[in-house]
Amino acid sequence: MILSRTKPAVGGDAPIGLNEKKNKSRTKKIPDLEEYLQQRDYLGALTLLEFQRDVGEREEHADLWMGYCAFHLGDHKRAMEVYKTLSEKAECPVEVWVYLACTMFLLGLYKEAEEAASKAPTSPLQNRLLFHLAHKFNDEKKLMGFHQNLEDVTEDQLSLASIHYMRSHYQEAIDIYKRILLQNRDFLALKVYVALCYYKLDYYDVSQEVLAVYLQSIPDSTIALNLKACNHFRLYNGKAAEAELKNLMDISSCSFEFAKELIRHNLVVFRAGEGALQVLPPLIDVIPEARLNLVIYYLRQDDIQEAYNLIKDLVPTTPQEYILKGVVNAALGQEIGSRDHLKIAQQFFQLVGGSASECDTIPGRQCMASCFFLLRQFEDVLIYLNSVKSYFYNDDTFNFNYAQAKAALGNYRDAEEVFLLIQSEKIKNDYVYLSWLARSYIMNQKGRLAWELYLNMGTSSDAFALLQLIANDCYKMGQFFYAAKAFDALEKLDPDSNYWEGKRGACVGIFQLILAGRESREMLKDVLPLLRSSGNPQVEYIIRTLRKWAKENRVALS
Amino acid sequence: MERSDTKVLANQPYDESLEVNDSEDIASVYTPTPQTHQRDLRPRSRKGRGVMEANSSSDEFEEEDSPQKRREPISNLAGLGPEQEEEEDEEDSDEEDSDDDDDDEEEGASAPEGAYDPADYHNLPVSTEIKELFQYITRYTPQVVELENKLKPFIPDYIPAVGDIDAFLKVPRPDDKPDDLGLLLLDEPCVKQSDPRVLSLWLSEETKQHHPTEVKKVSSIRSPHQEQKALDSWIESISELHRCKAPASVHYARPMPDVESLMQEWPAEVEELLGRVALPSAELDCDLAQYVDIVCGLLDIPVYKNRIQSLHVLFTLYLEFQNSEHFKAQNHDRLAS
Repeated sequence: MILSRTKPAVGGDAPIGLNEKKNKSRTKKIPDLEEYLQQRDYLGALTLLEFQRDVGEREEHADLWMGYCAFHLGDHKRAMEVYKTLSEKAECPVEVWVYLACTMFLLGLYKEAEEAASKAPTSPLQNRLLFHLAHKFNDEKKLMGFHQNLEDVTEDQLSLASIHYMRSHYQEAIDIYKRILLQNRDFLALKVYVALCYYKLDYYDVSQEVLAVYLQSIPDSTIALNLKACNHFRLYNGKAAEAELKNLMDISSCSFEFAKELIRHNLVVFRAGEGALQVLPPLIDVIPEARLNLVIYYLRQDDIQEAYNLIKDLVPTTPQEYILKGVVNAALGQEIGSRDHLKIAQQFFQLVGGSASECDTIPGRQCMASCFFLLRQFEDVLIYLNSVKSYFYNDDTFNFNYAQAKAALGNYRDAEEVFLLIQSEKIKNDYVYLSWLARSYIMNQKGRLAWELYLNMGTSSDAFALLQLIANDCYKMGQFFYAAKAFDALEKLDPDSNYWEGKRGACVGIFQLILAGRESREMLKDVLPLLRSSGNPQVEYIIRTLRKWAKENRVALS
Repeated sequence: MERSDTKVLANQPYDESLEVNDSEDIASVYTPTPQTHQRDLRPRSRKGRGVMEANSSSDEFEEEDSPQKRREPISNLAGLGPEQEEEEDEEDSDEEDSDDDDDDEEEGASAPEGAYDPADYHNLPVSTEIKELFQYITRYTPQVVELENKLKPFIPDYIPAVGDIDAFLKVPRPDDKPDDLGLLLLDEPCVKQSDPRVLSLWLSEETKQHHPTEVKKVSSIRSPHQEQKALDSWIESISELHRCKAPASVHYARPMPDVESLMQEWPAEVEELLGRVALPSAELDCDLAQYVDIVCGLLDIPVYKNRIQSLHVLFTLYLEFQNSEHFKAQNHDRLAS
């Protein structure tokens, strides 16, 4: 890649072009400011202006030109400094104030911007700026006032459309763009704006289509290529998206700083959070998504407290923010057992899932399912999960929730199947998983598998609870052998409690099953030691009866 | 009871579109609903259900209306083959459930399929002693172990940033010409920006206006291993800069004396004369070309048609004297003495 030649690049960097440029540069005298501006090589323009200043040749309004270049380069800080210096001079042109205000606005210095704008004479630009400031301040009354001052001219209408976009009124924005495009077919930039709106509306294909028109004429547009990458991310995957960004990085020169933060941010996104901790923290409150992505990162790392700290003061406005707040509250509420958090989570989920814009999206359905899950209304959970099931065949989170809902409704066959699809070791070691899977096994007459779950657990309070479950559920399902084994184990672990009744019933139950021919006669052998390990006086009586039967039926007991 | 439920709901769009072999299945969609404590939320969930039904039916009939197209991202949410089967399966088992225990709808108490039922063993041909023993089985009522549920929240995907749309809060050109930024093309800088360091070097080279500030920027690349691109482009642009500079050596079209020979001492008489007579200064009443000829003549530099090359020899000679350590020292001594 050739960095800045002696003349601004004219796009296309084939080697032939290079030679041509070299020749030109030899013959060329001092480059023209206008030429740099036409190329949007603002860094070149600024360097030229600085050079001219240093050698004492002064372009007319050199400072204003420098401000203009810095502004459009995206170096708003530098532009602000230029205008600040200008504004301190006695012969300062009055419109400098509104330019200064614009730079401050873009730097997020809203208060200062308002103050500077108030010193400027009334102008359409000033009105647009105050309009946007009112939006930032959430001042509806002022917003309406400045809205009324907007005229039916292109700039004002586009500014209005931008507000619509920021307020998530994408359709209204699209309407404005389409209307202007009808009158001005050559306003290609508006195609990108429309594509941005469609992106936000989740119509990635449409967005891509509209965007292609712009990229055809300006193939190296940063904003457009970034949007293309984002569309690819949504339509395909992170890899496809990263390839697009890579392309952008390859064609841009080293001195190109514009949107660098955006690109760094999106690389983290496309790489599934890789480098999140290095890249995202400084971008918080610079790129709105950075905070959300960092929360997502923490959630994925199971650092719920960090996630909560980051999001607790955020006042949600977009569906994504509501969802994320819901998710964090649900996770935290369950972890620390806080009803308040769960209540908030459930409300946010309901709000998103019930909204017109989200009710038919996958996240919207997930929200409704989560809401009903927290309310323990599993039939409704299943309705919503079933509607998006095909998108989540191998998704552990989905399957975990789905299987629980199935099991809670007594559909243990499906529940077992879905539980077994889960790969995550973390989930598989979760007691909720183990207990529900054990129950599903038992309900599906697979007591042995439930017993094996217990055997693999090691001693813990969870293992103890699982024994209770196995003992009682197996008993209920007539799987007396594992019920007896579980009662026996409970007896040993907890000698002070009385498990005799259960064990007695279970042991007799095995006997009954043998008599009914449902268990093999050999099993009787295993029953005796189970009985004997209890010190109850009834043991002998039962054993006597069993022995008697064994003798009559020639069943060896030892 | 169940039947009448079925009738009421038979005309739902979902029912019509659902392709099932057995009308029982349709009925079963709604059989498991009644659970009194859920009544309060029914309307909302029913609404949700309606949405999905509408979706699934439109999907199956492949209706081509515009909202359908717009809803593309989600359009195939419902009504997929396997999923529907799934739902039927589920209903099937639900129904089996209710077959077993139509009488007790109490949650939890309903015995699941395959539960132990002492009646199954009632007719076993056993002695009374054993029959008595069997009573121990029902003497114990298994406890209902409540299990906790845990929602594993659906963590959203990472969210890429696309930025905001141009709000037209921008500085116009100082000359008030339209720049069409944000209209004809996006208001963003071109991806190929000049490198200020290279450009300022080039500017001073091209304009021959050397200025102290130009040297202010000494560039360095922090980690050249990682920034191969930056390094390469720097080298490339600097070497190009040098290529564009005037060449370091000039090939003379005609023979020129060697600078070394020109630096030889003058004969003693000339030296002596120079002590008394000053060399002709620029004040001399002649034009520049003549003056060049005179000076070159004095210094034994031949002048051909083109004086430029002779002048080049002249200035090379001058530089050589100026930079020569020998003469510097001599000069210094002379001044000192």
